[in-house]
Amino acid sequence: MITITREEREWFLRNLAQGLIEYMGAASPPIEVEEMLQHPPDIFGLDFGVVDMYSNLWDATFARPPSRRGSIFVRVNLTPVQRRFALAREILSAMITSKHGQVLGLGDILMDWLQESAEYFARHLLAPEPMVEVFQENGSDPVRFAKEFGIPKEIAEKRLNDVIL
Amino acid sequence: MSMQALNQLVARSIIDPAIVQKFSSGIIAEVLSDLDFTHDLREKLVNLTADTWVEFAILAYRLVKSTEPVTATIDLPSPAEGLFIEETHVGKEQVA
Repeated sequence: MITITREEREWFLRNLAQGLIEYMGAASPPIEVEEMLQHPPDIFGLDFGVVDMYSNLWDATFARPPSRRGSIFVRVNLTPVQRRFALAREILSAMITSKHGQVLGLGDILMDWLQESAEYFARHLLAPEPMVEVFQENGSDPVRFAKEFGIPKEIAEKRLNDVIL
Repeated sequence: MSMQALNQLVARSIIDPAIVQKFSSGIIAEVLSDLDFTHDLREKLVNLTADTWVEFAILAYRLVKSTEPVTATIDLPSPAEGLFIEETHVGKEQVA
């Protein structure tokens, strides 16, 4: 496997997110990822389940029980914006471990950087660059950004600081 | 333009298994012919050697990026010259 740079990895992750955004047909924020998880692309039909759980351990985690549909197990008591971000983040694990993801070779470039990659992917799935550019025509207030895109404020701040080369 | 076409290809490949199937079968040229690449670049992309689709995508990114025109830089005047070279020059002529 070739060695890739962070810039290359981030470019790839943005396009990964863009593929799902195009599938959803999303034209403006907020991006309704949970709706997509309920009606996933055919290729991820066995990978995009959502199961609510009571837990104090994680906000969400992806798991694939043997010979059953892979699902994101998400804490029931998250706020809507926390839930949206947690689901978006875990979608990457669902994709990497899916049959299609394995054929693509996603794990080869993303597994060593899984947490960082998943958070970057989620930021760009929930706030795609073209929509961010439109938003920034009227300023870059992170509070307004978080509200408009339906994401936690700290994620909004990080997203606004993402430098795209 | 080519980078836009490559972005489009990679984004599509995430939900369209036909793309990676064609890549694996050695007929990625069929997919590339629908996209806005120059003839020369398309030839180079077809000849890339990669074990997986992701590897192909990264090599393609490097190739396309190397062919993209470098972003124009803004030529700022040297602080030693000052900001109004033209005006200063004209001013001196007028005085003379």
